[in-house]
Amino acid sequence: MKLFTKLTLFITLSKLAIVILFVWLLPFLVNRIAYQYNDYYLKEQKRKVLNVIGRSGIDAYLQGEPSYGSYTMLKEEYISLEPAGKTAPPDTIATLRRVVEGDTLTYRVLSHTFNYNNRNYFLEVGKTTASIGQYNQPLQRMALYVLIGLIVSTIVIDLVYTRLLLRPLATIIRNRLVNARFPFRETTPAIQTSTTDFRYLDDSLTELMGKIREAFEKEREFTSNASHELMTPISILQSKMENLMMEEELPEVLQKKIMDMMKTLNRLKKIVHSLLLISRIENDQFPRSDSFSIREVVQEVRDELEHRLQEQQLTFHIQLSGQVVLAGLNHDLIFQLVYNLLNNAIRYNKPEGQIIIRENYTPRKPYRLIIRDTGIGIPEHEIGTIFQRFKKVEKKENEGYGLGLSIVHTIARYHDIGIEVSSQPGTGTEFTLIFPLPISTSGYKRVI
Amino acid sequence: MKVLIVEDERSMASEMEAFLKKAFYLCDLAYTAKQGLEKMEENEYNFILLDLGLPDKDGLLLLQEARKNCPDASCIILSARGQLEDRIRGLDLGADDYLPKPFSLLELQSRMQAVIRRKFGLQDSTILIGDFKVDLNKRLVTYNDDAEIELSKKEFDLLSYLLLHKNRPVTRMQLSEHIWGGFSDDDYDSNYIDVHIKNIRKKLSTWSSVEWLQTVRSVGYKVKI
Repeated sequence: MKLFTKLTLFITLSKLAIVILFVWLLPFLVNRIAYQYNDYYLKEQKRKVLNVIGRSGIDAYLQGEPSYGSYTMLKEEYISLEPAGKTAPPDTIATLRRVVEGDTLTYRVLSHTFNYNNRNYFLEVGKTTASIGQYNQPLQRMALYVLIGLIVSTIVIDLVYTRLLLRPLATIIRNRLVNARFPFRETTPAIQTSTTDFRYLDDSLTELMGKIREAFEKEREFTSNASHELMTPISILQSKMENLMMEEELPEVLQKKIMDMMKTLNRLKKIVHSLLLISRIENDQFPRSDSFSIREVVQEVRDELEHRLQEQQLTFHIQLSGQVVLAGLNHDLIFQLVYNLLNNAIRYNKPEGQIIIRENYTPRKPYRLIIRDTGIGIPEHEIGTIFQRFKKVEKKENEGYGLGLSIVHTIARYHDIGIEVSSQPGTGTEFTLIFPLPISTSGYKRVI
Repeated sequence: MKVLIVEDERSMASEMEAFLKKAFYLCDLAYTAKQGLEKMEENEYNFILLDLGLPDKDGLLLLQEARKNCPDASCIILSARGQLEDRIRGLDLGADDYLPKPFSLLELQSRMQAVIRRKFGLQDSTILIGDFKVDLNKRLVTYNDDAEIELSKKEFDLLSYLLLHKNRPVTRMQLSEHIWGGFSDDDYDSNYIDVHIKNIRKKLSTWSSVEWLQTVRSVGYKVKI
């Protein structure tokens, strides 16, 4: 999951949890506040009553009567004053039932006992519980609306800011990792950001790529120089052997020995040639400006390999329409690539086996070329290493020198061609080349 | 035919000399550009075989001098650099052919022959062998001047290569390298050269004996005249 998605999810879920908690607590909280306020209100009422009594005497209420009672019009509040016993219990506030004019109602009641002129009086101030909670519903609703509004706006702000904050990361990933092509020749400018972590990441990646490029250049240079240096001694040896071979009256044994030496030298020559080819490709020495259909190339390779197909009595099926013209390629290199793959398909095939070349193309999708043989196959654990230099599959007669597939790999990488390999030991191998290039079908103007 | 070999590797130069001597070329050797230039000023040459990697001067510069000093000489560049641009520049500067190192001496001689045929095209390019006549320019094999024998392109190339190097054993490897160039195969014990030779023998022997086309056991083939 992407970092931004994770953050979005986290922000949204955490706020949602807060909302749920708040909604769950809200009635309780509002109720509690209402009651607290009400208790305070009752105490205020009590204080007012005591004030009146202190100022005007108890008769301001009793007016000679032994007790006093009064209530508001809808019986929402009441007050009662009556004589009490000798003891003076402390004040209480409690929810109690009271009968007022025949109606039984639930009140929040403050009870207070006080002394006036050496007599104890009992004062009750009450308010119906129904009137206490009368604003709870609208209050809750209001609070909920405000909360939701706040949450939504903070989510929006959070997301916008996170996106802004993470933008350099996306640029780093795009520029340095996704779009960067080995061997990282093109350098993109440093990313604009004030976040030091990203700055550090970007700088580190740039530095790392620089190091990789340097190491790669060194290796390439070495391969190229070493190969060139090897050419001269090989040349001398070859001439010497050829001259030796032409000596008159050369005994057959010696002739055979020289022949063997020439074979070995030739093998050395091939290896050096292959290494040179790889280093020249990696050195961008081949223009990628040819357009052609793959069928043409396959046909050319087939002509070149005809004698070997006959020798092994292989059936060769080309199922290519020739309609698709690929652009931006180097003809010689693609020839070499197809040649090496077909050469392997022949070399590792069974006598009277088959080689099938077909294509898979739907417009706007990459063109796929599939080369399938009925050969000995590649064991699964070796598939990962077949493109490495000098890696060989199990020793076998007519063994190559282990560079054919690494040339394939180098050429493919040079053209951004993807390679997929699937193989079943004993049944055969299938190579799929995926061309990611602009494609035009013949009859239309070419894209490049 | 006089040949100037400009090559700083003495060992290489002397092998080339030894080989070409057998084919009746007269050879002069130069190990530096300076020596080469001196030789060019003193003598007339038919061929200049020029190594590009000389210690004292870029071979391509020497090539320009050679064109001035010996305008009649044919130049063949021998180079270990083997890069396309070098090749193109060399040919642009008037070289007649370009042979990347390491090359086969047989191939060198074959190229020299080709240059000669190109330059003096009117010269007789036919070779008589047994009862057959091989015309290298028209790429024709005829029997008794009238019956035309059809050989495939590769068969003709093989035959003419063997004819050019007559009386010498030519290995299967040398043959396959000449025919298939850089794409010659890795496994030389493979018998496709033999298949072609068998075809050539079959086609020719319906007309006359081909005893002159000999097999050299475990090595290759030889045309014996």
